[in-house]
Amino acid sequence: MWKNLYAWLDERIGLNDLYTNMLDRPEPKTSWWNTLGSASMFLFILQGLTGIFLTVYYTPSPDHAYDSITYIMEGVAFGWLIRGIHHWGATLMVLVVFIHMLRVFMTASFKYPRELTWLIGIGLFLTTLGMGFTGYLLPWNQKSFWATTVGTQIAGTVPFLGEFILKALRGGPDLSALTLQRFFSAHIWMIPAILAAFIGIHLFLIIKHGESHWPRKED
Amino acid sequence: MNDETKKKINEKYEKELAKGERFWPDTIFKDVVMSLGIFILLILLASFIGIPAEPKADPSDTSYIPRPEWYFLFLFKFLALYGQLPVIGKIEWIATVLIPGVAIGLLTLIPFIEKNPNRYYSKRAMPIAIMTIMVVGIVLLTLMSDVPTVSEDGSALLGTLQTLVGIFIPVIAYALFFVFKNNTRLITWTTGLAALAMILISGTVLALAPEAETEETAVATTLSDQILAGQDLYSVYCTECHGEDGAVAVIQGVEGLESEKITPINSRDVLYTITDSAMAEVIAYGRPNAGMTPFGKTYGGELTRGEIDYIIIFMRYMWDDRFEAPQLKPLFPTLADGEVPSYDVHIQPIVKRYCVSCHRTGKDNNNFLMTSYDEILNTGDNAANNVIAGDENSYLLQVIQQRAILNPDKPDEELIGVMPPSSTLKPNVVDAFTRWIMNGMPQTAEEAAALSTTPAPATTPTP
Repeated sequence: MWKNLYAWLDERIGLNDLYTNMLDRPEPKTSWWNTLGSASMFLFILQGLTGIFLTVYYTPSPDHAYDSITYIMEGVAFGWLIRGIHHWGATLMVLVVFIHMLRVFMTASFKYPRELTWLIGIGLFLTTLGMGFTGYLLPWNQKSFWATTVGTQIAGTVPFLGEFILKALRGGPDLSALTLQRFFSAHIWMIPAILAAFIGIHLFLIIKHGESHWPRKED
Repeated sequence: MNDETKKKINEKYEKELAKGERFWPDTIFKDVVMSLGIFILLILLASFIGIPAEPKADPSDTSYIPRPEWYFLFLFKFLALYGQLPVIGKIEWIATVLIPGVAIGLLTLIPFIEKNPNRYYSKRAMPIAIMTIMVVGIVLLTLMSDVPTVSEDGSALLGTLQTLVGIFIPVIAYALFFVFKNNTRLITWTTGLAALAMILISGTVLALAPEAETEETAVATTLSDQILAGQDLYSVYCTECHGEDGAVAVIQGVEGLESEKITPINSRDVLYTITDSAMAEVIAYGRPNAGMTPFGKTYGGELTRGEIDYIIIFMRYMWDDRFEAPQLKPLFPTLADGEVPSYDVHIQPIVKRYCVSCHRTGKDNNNFLMTSYDEILNTGDNAANNVIAGDENSYLLQVIQQRAILNPDKPDEELIGVMPPSSTLKPNVVDAFTRWIMNGMPQTAEEAAALSTTPAPATTPTP
């Protein structure tokens, strides 16, 4: 029965090919430093799942954002755990992605034939920071409100374009309901979409070229 | 890169693959262990450290010291240090846009800048050295992000030291890297010494730094805490005119508003028709034409948006019959026989609830302020007689027991009327005050415990 099912699926999606191409591949001897990339992806998925749960109760409006978070923490069963994981996961994701990038830099894994993987990786690093930046405002507490005020102010110092960037980020001259709404939209739709697409390309390239080996003296 | 080199690289990689492992299950296994470890770490962090409660955003509170997310702190610090530099320190966008932009640009383009095929670390001294100094700088600036650049006594020593770590040493190190160019040994030494100097100076800065003031703002997270917080605020800011239960229809005993007619705010007329946000506006802006001053910070009052919300929650759960109040904690823990109350645990909440409304600056109170322990003991026109340790004739004890103090010079005139002017304190509150003063006004719970006498336990009959 299972065999038949497997054969049926294999005929249609090519499970055997997937297995040989994606899983049953040779790799050079890897160290624990090589696990940070997959750990970043794991964190992304975890952030996605916990984030989806949070949107069930979270309301992106200045009147209700703070209270909805308080409700998640106090009223929802295991809400504190979901938000706790999301909160600490964000911190850890920035750290893990950064250390992953450092590792790739130190072992010069960005060199031929993995230059494009590196470029996409930088994109992933920057979008991860973007996720952190936009997500930080959502609880609408003092810390997040003023952190975003300073953050957008810094973006506003760009010569010539500063004023425009500041207004585009805030949706007006000051932080308001519009800012919260667009940060929310960026945080749950725009940036994750880019992030997911980048992860797809990054993974494809890694499977195509394999992980780089740890550099030896003759490399 | 020519095809020859590419071919060599690919052949080398094939050899590495030959003596390597299988992706499934070898590599995947490590990945899964790592991810699982991270997952467990996250659950531990969420369970045992959690997320510190923060007060609600208050755009009007300009006194709040803004700080970015922790991973931008280094940039924030760098901006502050850069701003101290003479002349170029004034051109902000160099530090906010140009330097970070160049850094990210170089990082992005590194595969096209470092075009040689060398991967072993000793053949890549320069890039590794530049990155090391960069990372050491980022970590140290993050650690020092809380240290001020100018000390309280006006000395700029801390700022100068931080600028050494954040700007001068890295710049010198980078310049030296380009001087030494192909000399791996010298680059290594420069990196090591520069990093060491940066770490040592940062250590000094952190050791010299004044203890960071952790300003703890009480944040009520549970509903009952919010109601109690609202009740405390209501008692201080609203009782004078609206009364303890919000039932006042004609204001009495308030200078300037005497006999003013108002709508009782505990009535359905108010509670059913005014939404939370409208009510918040009323409290924030006041009703200046009707005599109600603004209370919100936005309009020059004292309350933050979050505090106004607590007051509204209190009003809803206490007076609005569509809301059912949860079980609330008593104002102060019940006193056992022989137990002496302390300021911190018992008296402070009582005073806040019943006295501070008038006994704070700017009110008519014979200069007797009650917002802190020291004020209760030492302020007021009658400071010498208000609170006397062990004396049941202390003015405070007399007036709260409905005995007005008469003016010794003009015996037919009241020096101090009964307190609170328009209500009577419950016996247990009077008892707490009496015990507190009779036992010498202990401030902390420990001091009070030392004065307490446990009544001799009833002897249990032995069988």
